[in-house]
Amino acid sequence: MLWTRRRFISSSPSVLIASSALADSLFAAPAADSKTPNPELEKLAANALREAKKLKASYCDIRIVRLRDQRVSLRQTPERGTGKTLSVPGVAEDASFGFGVRVIVNGAWGFAASPVVTPEEIARITGEAVIIAKANASIQPKPLQLAPVKAYRDRWVTPHDVDPLKVPMGEKIELLHKVVSEIKKETRVFSGSANLNLRSEDKYFASSEGSSIQQYILQIYGNVDATAVDREKNLSRTRNYVPTQASAGWEYVPEMNLEENARRIREEVLEHLAAPPVKPGKKDLILMPNHLMLTIHESVAHPTELDRALGYEANYAGTSYITPDKIGKRVASDHCTFVGDRTTPRGLATVGYDDDGVKATAFTIIDKGIVKSFQTTRDQAHLIGEKESHGCSQADSWATVPFQRMPNVHLKAGPADTTLEDLIAGVDDGVLIDGRGSYSIDQQRYNFQFGGDAFWEIKGGKKRGMLSRVSYQDRTPDFWQNCDGTAGPAYWRLFGTTGDAKGEPTQINSISHGCSPTRFRNIEVIVTD
Amino acid sequence: MITQEEAKKLTAKVLGLTTFPECHLTLTSSEQAYTRFANNGITTASFNLRHNLTIAVTREGRTGVMAVNDFDDASLKAAMLQAEELAKIAPPNPERLPPVGPQEFPKTFDLDEATATARAPQMIPHVKTIIDAAMAAKMVAAGLIERSLRVSAIANKAGLFGYHRSSDSQLTTTIRMPDGSSSGWAGQPSMKLTSLDSKGLAATAIEKCKRWKNPIRLDPGKYTVVLEPTATGDLVRLMTGGFSARATDEGRTFLSKRGGGSLLGEKYFPEFVTLRMDPFDPRQPSSPWTSDFLPTDKITWIDKGVIANLAYDRYWANKTGKKATPGAFGGFGGGRGGGGGGGAAGSLIMEGSNDSLDDLIKGVERGLLITHLWYIRGVNPQTLQQTGLTRDGVFLIENGKITTPVMNMRFLESPVRLLRNAKRIGTAMRVRGLEGGIMIAPSMVATDFPMPSISDAV
Repeated sequence: MLWTRRRFISSSPSVLIASSALADSLFAAPAADSKTPNPELEKLAANALREAKKLKASYCDIRIVRLRDQRVSLRQTPERGTGKTLSVPGVAEDASFGFGVRVIVNGAWGFAASPVVTPEEIARITGEAVIIAKANASIQPKPLQLAPVKAYRDRWVTPHDVDPLKVPMGEKIELLHKVVSEIKKETRVFSGSANLNLRSEDKYFASSEGSSIQQYILQIYGNVDATAVDREKNLSRTRNYVPTQASAGWEYVPEMNLEENARRIREEVLEHLAAPPVKPGKKDLILMPNHLMLTIHESVAHPTELDRALGYEANYAGTSYITPDKIGKRVASDHCTFVGDRTTPRGLATVGYDDDGVKATAFTIIDKGIVKSFQTTRDQAHLIGEKESHGCSQADSWATVPFQRMPNVHLKAGPADTTLEDLIAGVDDGVLIDGRGSYSIDQQRYNFQFGGDAFWEIKGGKKRGMLSRVSYQDRTPDFWQNCDGTAGPAYWRLFGTTGDAKGEPTQINSISHGCSPTRFRNIEVIVTD
Repeated sequence: MITQEEAKKLTAKVLGLTTFPECHLTLTSSEQAYTRFANNGITTASFNLRHNLTIAVTREGRTGVMAVNDFDDASLKAAMLQAEELAKIAPPNPERLPPVGPQEFPKTFDLDEATATARAPQMIPHVKTIIDAAMAAKMVAAGLIERSLRVSAIANKAGLFGYHRSSDSQLTTTIRMPDGSSSGWAGQPSMKLTSLDSKGLAATAIEKCKRWKNPIRLDPGKYTVVLEPTATGDLVRLMTGGFSARATDEGRTFLSKRGGGSLLGEKYFPEFVTLRMDPFDPRQPSSPWTSDFLPTDKITWIDKGVIANLAYDRYWANKTGKKATPGAFGGFGGGRGGGGGGGAAGSLIMEGSNDSLDDLIKGVERGLLITHLWYIRGVNPQTLQQTGLTRDGVFLIENGKITTPVMNMRFLESPVRLLRNAKRIGTAMRVRGLEGGIMIAPSMVATDFPMPSISDAV
């Protein structure tokens, strides 16, 4: 049936008129120390659970979600003709409120979603999900099997002192103004820009297995960049500073050190513009945490997604070089222990519960180079003989289907007495790479080419001047086997990535990866444009 | 979905909620139905509705933007108040221009009712056709069938109003050997769901999968390539950002000349290269307005090899005494490549010829036939150098014939150099790459395509 606005307007006027107030009241801050969800959410959700039962669904869950997103930006560029510096601001907020219902009927999933949060619409959409599940069951090779989960009644909130969305906008603009002005103090820099992105997710989950979970999740992203142009050589270069993207309160923002780093990158972008190109060939690499995090993301975290390894993403994201038969086998050197962890403080994938209602957990994926386990959801755990899900189910909106998404995946720090200086001292001919550049990897995660944001030459155990036009290519299992050292816990840093795409239609996820500076031997370095 | 009258009524009501002199509204409403399949079974399917109203208010050059999806009076009033509060705090935007007034938007024919309303009964038979064909060939199918219906409306206090409905659909499939030793892909975006050819797509993907078994390892190096239309589209769509007049003037695009100036008017590509946008082409949907809310129109970027136009947004057009053009990539960020997200950017066309893919293959002494490309990422925003990999079928061509399957390879090349090295083009068709770019693109023969490493991926 075609959804019409007339139908939407006429569906339940009394509730709709108050629907904004409804979102505000449903997700209002709880009474102090309350650990139970708002009973009004539970009442709304009951409409889905009741309807699903009536329609003979063997399982049902509903997520009622409000997403808020605040974006502040400032760019300073010279005005054409006058050369005067113009400050171009951007100030915007989004709010989105709705629900999604998932059911199992005849052993198959069905899902439907709507932005009209009323009892009637919840029941109607549950019926739509049942229709879809019945249709899907007609081509379902085996009935779904869900790993058991405890029933929880709980409320979870990202630990924070100050809600970033409640901080006055003026304070945010003033901060960005200071930051960008720092960049433009160097007149040879063509443009500077900075932005802050503050997000919150109010999420309520209820299932036919008795769970009722309310969560409030916060995320803060920031970015500063400087661009320099050499008209004579027809060259332009940009240097970025991307502070740790964190699940945190506003009290974290001063730790980003945006102004101090703006001063640093305005110098480095000029050095980068004048830097000689790298001489290609086999070299040793020292990868800093704000670079290595994305290498981990692409070459370890994605390949250990179980749905990918089993062929469920074959049509888009691809399959994996790590398949379940590799459990117990070596794919990296002894220095490499990777953990999946949805409990890491400030991690972007850190939550109380996943979208299957599974409590957040930590688990070992690769132990000293040996594959131990995969990222799983409730409907996958049995496929590798595990009895419980690792809690990796997530949807990026109330309107999208939960499926297996990456937890925070970290490389454990090396011995306490290993320093960055030790790693550099052991390199005769190499490159130190900082920040994110161009990242590309094949659909089974074997062949990759990764670039960075800034590069320094290492010669005779010493860090020298900047280089330009650097990328490196390798075959993932060889690359991790060539890891011969990672710095100790004092150097371990968490960095986030906020635009991870997977699934069809594509869903976007945010994840953090922690690591220390790490050394890799004999890697193919290439020179790019 | 929201009708034109309802959109008019809603936007008029919201415009009446502010005392600010400028207010611009963008209303979107969409409905999507899809089914995903893998391992010869359905994995997920969804039916979802979404809507959104973005309010942008401006006073004394200060703009605040608030987007909501609650359309009741109280929510709209609260959203307007929030937009006004943001505008009061925001610094003035020195690049802001006065709002555009009433416009006559052209008709673009973008809606197919049968596609817009299709659900499982119309979609699942396509899935079944593909899975049955894969099973009969003892192979494993994965894929997606999707259709969408989208309503957009714009309105402002200066009297602007526009309303547009569009629908679209696509079917893609990857068919693999059960042991993972080979893979074939086929895909079809279509304005009409009824035109989706599931049988044909299954046959193509199965044939590729059969032929690609036991690929040989070739040395890295530069190769003559025959790109199927999807592979051409994967790269050529990334050129559009380079046409930004502003970024070119500022020395940041491939069209910027050393010391200043641009390549506008110069013959830079072979004679047979023509790249243009046509929002009235019935093969693909397009918005009737540009990203500046002006009426869309046809525009040619490369005309028979000559750089024919640069893209101007209203601000840069005003600064330079030019006319604003269609294309969502005329602004500050335009130089970095990318297909452009709005306006008429979705209507990109690279002209083809009457030659078939087989004709192209016949003319190649030694080269590689490439099905499509994957994980394409920009390496240099100015030269538009990209890296990525071949996927789901690469074949050696020797003396005009496909002879041997070849292992996947990484490429490192700019679409600009690709087109400069193009030798011949074939028939053009609508394509949609794995990473989303939609355009009409031809098959193409190009020389000296750099392939610096080999991939073990199947």
